Amino acid sequence: MCWAPGERSVAGMQTTAIEVHDLQKSYGDRPVLDGVTFAVGEREIFGIAGRNGAGKTTTVEILQGLRRRDAGFAEVLGFDPARDRKRLRRLLGAQLQTSALPDRLRVGEALRLFARLAGNRVEWRELAAEWRLDDLLGQPFGTLSGGQRQRLFLALTMVNEPRLVFLDELTQGLDPVARRETWRLIERARDRGATVVLVTHDMDEAERLCDRVAVLHDGRLVTCGRPVELVTATGTVRVRFSSPSAAGVDGLTRIPGVGEVAYDGATANVTAAPVAVVPLAEELARRRLAPPDFTVIRPSLEDAVVSLLNGAQP
Amino acid sequence: MTRLLALTLTELRLLVRDGTLLVFAFVFPPLVMLILAGVFGTQATVGFSWQNPEHYYVAASVGVPVIGLTLVGLPVALATYRERGVLRRLDASGVPPAQVIAAQAVVTIALAVTAVGTVLAAALPSYGIPHVAHPALLAAGLAAGTLTLVLIGVAVGLAAPSARAAQAIGLLAFFPLYLLGGGGPPRGAMTGVMHHVADAIPSAIPGIVDPWLGLSGLGTQLVVLAGWAAVALAATAWLARRTAV
Repeated sequence: MCWAPGERSVAGMQTTAIEVHDLQKSYGDRPVLDGVTFAVGEREIFGIAGRNGAGKTTTVEILQGLRRRDAGFAEVLGFDPARDRKRLRRLLGAQLQTSALPDRLRVGEALRLFARLAGNRVEWRELAAEWRLDDLLGQPFGTLSGGQRQRLFLALTMVNEPRLVFLDELTQGLDPVARRETWRLIERARDRGATVVLVTHDMDEAERLCDRVAVLHDGRLVTCGRPVELVTATGTVRVRFSSPSAAGVDGLTRIPGVGEVAYDGATANVTAAPVAVVPLAEELARRRLAPPDFTVIRPSLEDAVVSLLNGAQP
Repeated sequence: MTRLLALTLTELRLLVRDGTLLVFAFVFPPLVMLILAGVFGTQATVGFSWQNPEHYYVAASVGVPVIGLTLVGLPVALATYRERGVLRRLDASGVPPAQVIAAQAVVTIALAVTAVGTVLAAALPSYGIPHVAHPALLAAGLAAGTLTLVLIGVAVGLAAPSARAAQAIGLLAFFPLYLLGGGGPPRGAMTGVMHHVADAIPSAIPGIVDPWLGLSGLGTQLVVLAGWAAVALAATAWLARRTAV
């Protein structure tokens, strides 16, 4: 469930940070958002995924009050982002998809400036220490590595102690080590009490971080749920195990939910619904087969989303 | 105000680190003044409206950093911020683009005033600083020229699709305003057509030279500058809406 009209509980949370209903937006004649509806609970990490041009960035920009919606309802932390942008801004932190800082601006200057712009709610040196930027204070932004930049951006988003943080393609272009470090930082932001909305192409990232993921396609929300739910909803898992003879795998297709069974003389590969895995294991046990390499291979979130988006092709 | 001050100080720090801009603002104008005044000497001719050419070029060169910083430095800085998403980044942090632009304009004006000081500092031991015939009119002409060019610079910065485009547009505007404004050949030496063109462009130089050397009043120039300022303001307002979030 991504949004239930009138319901104030999202994913087991008691309070809602964001409610969006039937959001509409066009650029000229081109519709970008067409009836998007979802809600985000407080202290959730909520992912928004989809192809380029699906409407992800437009959605979060509308929620921050950076763009005006054409129609629909949007409420962020109790405010309408189009009308109460000024009050809302104090409660938000944001890292935009295509934004940077001046190359010559030093890390310490950036932290000090943004802290001052936010009303000095946090001591910028403490922020630098907390986000491990204290060794980089004198370094110009243009000389920072990708990971260092993202660490700085995350620190800057936290400079006003936001209740809600928007992160748009934060880890794009980062090496795996920097990406994983950034993931830890995002979790830290949530641990500090913030709700996080994460726009991402990276399904590993969504699966690893997000409590729930909404998938947009051509401006419409095609699905939304916990990563495990999205994966399960795509249907099948593969089960692989060794079997000394073909007799060991005979008749397995009679188990409800079991699809194809392939046997190459040593290893069986079974395609099955997730609910069929336990009955399959029970059947093997009943046949006194206890293959030590019994392996369930579930599709990744990326497999699930790609399958979903391919199914959503016009 | 505190926010604008913080932004202005940061912008000032960043501009001071821009070596190319500093050369353009602080080296090019005194150099041009030293060369041109040296070339034409002290012989008053009709082309110089019977003024000492050394005096003429000291006065005219005061307008050079004003034109350069407002038409090249400011648009490039603004277009860079737009192109790289710095304006959006600051906007997302609660700083409206108008405040950032205001900070850039304040810094541009401050740098221009400092650069004017550099021209005068270079003139003092070489050709001397000519007597100012009408100080109040000079101040008015300098202020009107600077503010008009700041508005044009902001409009160029908002209109240019990239920093490189802003630089190209700025340089294309700089040279006519510098040369036809009287920074190169004096206006008295121009042919009829070029004289008319020179009268219609928003160069800061005539508004400085004329009251300084007592050549004429400011009436026509102020009208021309006001017209350009109105156009630039309207363009800025339109572009700001078009590029607004």
